[in-house]
Amino acid sequence: MDTTLDTPAKTFIEVTEVWVPDGDRLKLAEGNYGGLEEFAAASRRESFAMGEGLPGKAWAEERPVVLKGFDGSYFKRTEAATAAGLTSAVAVPVFDGKTLKAVLVVLCGDDDERTGAIEVWHEQDGLLMLDDGYYGAAKHFEWVSQHTHFPRGQGLPGGVWSSETPILMRDLGSGYRFIRADSAAKAGLTTGLGLPIPVPGGKTFVLTLLSAKGTPIARRFEIWDARSARNGAANEARLIDGICAREGALWDPDNAGNERVVKAWQGAIGRVLGTGVPLVEGGKPGLANGYDSMVALPIHLDGELSHVVAWYL
Amino acid sequence: MQKLVVIGAGMASGRLLEQLFEANPDAYEVTLFNAEPRGNYNRIMLSPVLSGEKSYAEIVTHDDDWYAGNKVTCRFGERVVSVDRERKVVVGEKGEVPYDKLVFGTGSSAFIIPCPGHDLPGVVAFRDLEDTTAMTEASGTPGGRAVVIGGGLLGLEAAAALRMRGMDVTVLHLSGHLMERQLDEAAGYLLQKDLEKRGITVLTKASTKMIQGDGKVESVLLEDGTVLPADIVVMAVGIRPQVQLAKESGLEMGRAIVVDAQMRTSDPSVFAVGECVEFEGNLFGLVAPLYDQAKVLAKTLLDEEDTFKVKQLSTKLKVTGCDLFSAGDFAEGEGREDIVFRDPARGVYKRLVLEGDKLVGAVFYGDTADSNWFFGLIRDGEDVSDMRDTLIFGPSFQGGATADPLSAVAALPPEAEICGCNGVCKGDIVAAIEGGATDLAAIKATTKASASCGTCTGLVEQVLSVTLGDEFVIPTVQPICGCCDLTHEDVRRLIKSKELKSQPAVWQELGWKTVNGCHVCRPAVNFYLLADWPLDYQDDPQSRFVNERNHANIQKDGTYSVMPRMWGGMTDANELRAIADAADKYGAAVKVTGGQRIDLLGVKKEDLPAIWSDLNDAGMVSGHAYSKGLRTVKTCVGSDWCRFGTQDSTGLGIKLEKRLWGSWTPHKVKLAVSGCPRNCAEATCKDVGIICVDSGYQIGVGGAAGMDVKEVERLVDVRTEEEAIDYTVAFIQLYREHAKYLDRPYKWLAKVGLDWVKEQVGDPATRAALIERFDISQSVYQKDPWADHVATRRRLYAPIADLTLEAAE
Repeated sequence: MDTTLDTPAKTFIEVTEVWVPDGDRLKLAEGNYGGLEEFAAASRRESFAMGEGLPGKAWAEERPVVLKGFDGSYFKRTEAATAAGLTSAVAVPVFDGKTLKAVLVVLCGDDDERTGAIEVWHEQDGLLMLDDGYYGAAKHFEWVSQHTHFPRGQGLPGGVWSSETPILMRDLGSGYRFIRADSAAKAGLTTGLGLPIPVPGGKTFVLTLLSAKGTPIARRFEIWDARSARNGAANEARLIDGICAREGALWDPDNAGNERVVKAWQGAIGRVLGTGVPLVEGGKPGLANGYDSMVALPIHLDGELSHVVAWYL
Repeated sequence: MQKLVVIGAGMASGRLLEQLFEANPDAYEVTLFNAEPRGNYNRIMLSPVLSGEKSYAEIVTHDDDWYAGNKVTCRFGERVVSVDRERKVVVGEKGEVPYDKLVFGTGSSAFIIPCPGHDLPGVVAFRDLEDTTAMTEASGTPGGRAVVIGGGLLGLEAAAALRMRGMDVTVLHLSGHLMERQLDEAAGYLLQKDLEKRGITVLTKASTKMIQGDGKVESVLLEDGTVLPADIVVMAVGIRPQVQLAKESGLEMGRAIVVDAQMRTSDPSVFAVGECVEFEGNLFGLVAPLYDQAKVLAKTLLDEEDTFKVKQLSTKLKVTGCDLFSAGDFAEGEGREDIVFRDPARGVYKRLVLEGDKLVGAVFYGDTADSNWFFGLIRDGEDVSDMRDTLIFGPSFQGGATADPLSAVAALPPEAEICGCNGVCKGDIVAAIEGGATDLAAIKATTKASASCGTCTGLVEQVLSVTLGDEFVIPTVQPICGCCDLTHEDVRRLIKSKELKSQPAVWQELGWKTVNGCHVCRPAVNFYLLADWPLDYQDDPQSRFVNERNHANIQKDGTYSVMPRMWGGMTDANELRAIADAADKYGAAVKVTGGQRIDLLGVKKEDLPAIWSDLNDAGMVSGHAYSKGLRTVKTCVGSDWCRFGTQDSTGLGIKLEKRLWGSWTPHKVKLAVSGCPRNCAEATCKDVGIICVDSGYQIGVGGAAGMDVKEVERLVDVRTEEEAIDYTVAFIQLYREHAKYLDRPYKWLAKVGLDWVKEQVGDPATRAALIERFDISQSVYQKDPWADHVATRRRLYAPIADLTLEAAE
């Protein structure tokens, strides 16, 4: 992987924050606001009751929520967001069974250059349909996605749905001839991370993050398998797949069970294993391979923390 | 510096070069030939490349810089034409290269089934990047259809990947379950279920007859006549060593290039490594032994000592979300014991096979934690007797964990029907419990579940327990046998609500503690499956009692009885002559039975097919005197002959017998029709007894005249013969669908109550549906087993040896 690609660029996601339940309200646990100090300050002052604002809505409705355009919406920090140039947001609730562990919120700014996609897919009549998504400048891809559905096992969303596992896809668009892939290629989307979003009541939601080279969502993606069916009784996770702009492939080439393993509380991924809550870090030393920021999102399935997905920029 | 020429840039030769350069970079000047126009890449990762989960760049093991850095002369995209061992030169398409040492690493090629159409464009193997690219191209057509021939590792990885690419995929597999060399039936079942969940169609026992198409692949025709449209056909049925060049070079060959433990061929300057090698009769297809060979060969080439040994292998499948592991030998055999753990809720199956004090095989599905530890125990042949009791729980077992008997019910989705009578789903019951109905009576009152026939009571109690936890205490029940924790009734209900259509499905989803059940549960489960899913499930003769297997009753002296069917007890002179001839020919005693039939006793097992054939020739079929099914319909002479007869009782008896024969039931079923209330056919002590009266027919059910003596209870009075037949058929089908295996109708009636049965068969729509389901089942099962055995299994009845013959002197 060419490190010259790693030059500073506009990023697709500008703000990532984690809201955790404290009594009957969601409070800010941590966030990475880049340079948007005023928006950060406004956020620190905020908290959300169930159903209130974007995080509260994801909590109350027990589903991921995409919000495009804050004016006149239920979004509570519109003024500060507008001042910071943020125009859209996605809230992803993290449930462990019926218990809300946290809500992860990502915020994006709109212009004609930022390309990428954050999509929420839901199951309807045996097919995955686009719930909503934020695409930045990838308008054609947005239109195509709105008119696409996935049966079980097909494509990134269908693959995630049927395997109940996060999946990391490479070379989006290369070799794919069907319309969405073709459009993905034209939009410059290269890497796709898909993950199941379990919610109470058994409805199916799949979240996909599609990253483009010019305005990447991340330059390093990791999928950690923490299921007891893979690790036994030990509270640990193994790095089953990953790709890094600096380090290249992050998986065991001999497929021989020699993956990297972290135990609970060991480093950032270990912290997510220990707490079961997403983690956002920015501007701290000690992140993997000198990246500036990272997000790690746990997935709780069948009564256990089953996977952690992480992305770094 | 010596000259080393390597033919083939695959994973084995790649690893060889790595080891060689690492140990002594200056030992050899290397020339590497490869027919593919590229260097070494991680071939076993092609399936994730096909699915899009890896990029080709990621799986390149040696790039141009690596070859340049190690001063390897690369002759990629160039075939080797011949090897001249006399002159020690390799002749490539673009010229000769001399060698001091030569290594064959020519690998293997896909085995292509030589069926008609195998050479059509669109038929591909799955061996290299070219194949992968061809499949990726084919997946570009919207709505494209792929047929994958071969349900082994490679075929399934290709199938899952093509599905990810958006194709409609069908896997054809010749054997009865997927990956039969690596998995047992139970794990094969789970794997199939997993793949089907991805929208892949799996056809087992599917034999390809030909591939059809005009100029390119269009469809695949199976032996059974099925036609599967296809835009691409992937052949993944196996590999064969690619050894033509070595053969032409005059090296010693077996099935592949024969090497010694130092990887040396019959020529001391020539070596071979990888899938083109045969060592002590073994061929190699998995990567682990290839790497071992590469290590040994590197040392041999550096004049160091090392020896290649064949080791135990384990298998993993690279399909995201499918966790399976298999190692060692898991065939059933004498002196072998199984330890089985199943968790239906998590889709987990674990089986360990022990021989004496050693673990010899392991198959895991859904939970592969600790698989390396188990693999170590197998590979090292460790004595496991001390930890035998807890072995299945793995190395970190702390004591106490056992399978949860409630997990099968916990795994049911909310829409699964618990009470068939009133159509109550699990979700309804859970909602009622959450609404305050916390015991069985309250559930009955609020949802009507278990309020009718009551056979689902056990399941309702389990739903209570799953929902309320230890606040609800389940009354103790009698499980079907030691293999599981569920009652017969629970198993029956769950087979329906979970749509379980095979024995492996039942064993897994209902948490059986044994591999294949036992002599108690197998006949019952076999019956439940064939009664509930006549079109999907195939009867398993191995799950039947010996008399049913042999279609004859074994007698105390080891001979058999043979009883032809006589419809309604009527016969004629021709049939009697044939019976008399058969009695003479096979030395049988003749007995008239209580059911108005003629029994031929004392027939030797080896004569069975012949006597059946003779009786078939006279137009007679099996009387099923041995089966859990319809036995006889006894009749009196009725209005045709008798002065008191009110209806044609013989005619009705014949019609009933012709309608009902051949159907399997929970226990034997005897019928009788009497022409008047004087009841000469003794109809009032039969399972179904019909008394004809002037106004029509009185149908009684649930009589007995064996260990228990019981008079029938009146089911219904009807006016016409047609109605009498309809009610009888509907009653038999209701009994088939609900009764516990080995409960005669009177025992079943005592449990469900006659009122409920009356309600069911009395409702016109329910009655019609019961009759329809019975007829569907009869379309499969109403056939003469004698004729079938004579035609297909005659040789099984012949003795293995005739020990009465004396040696000639």
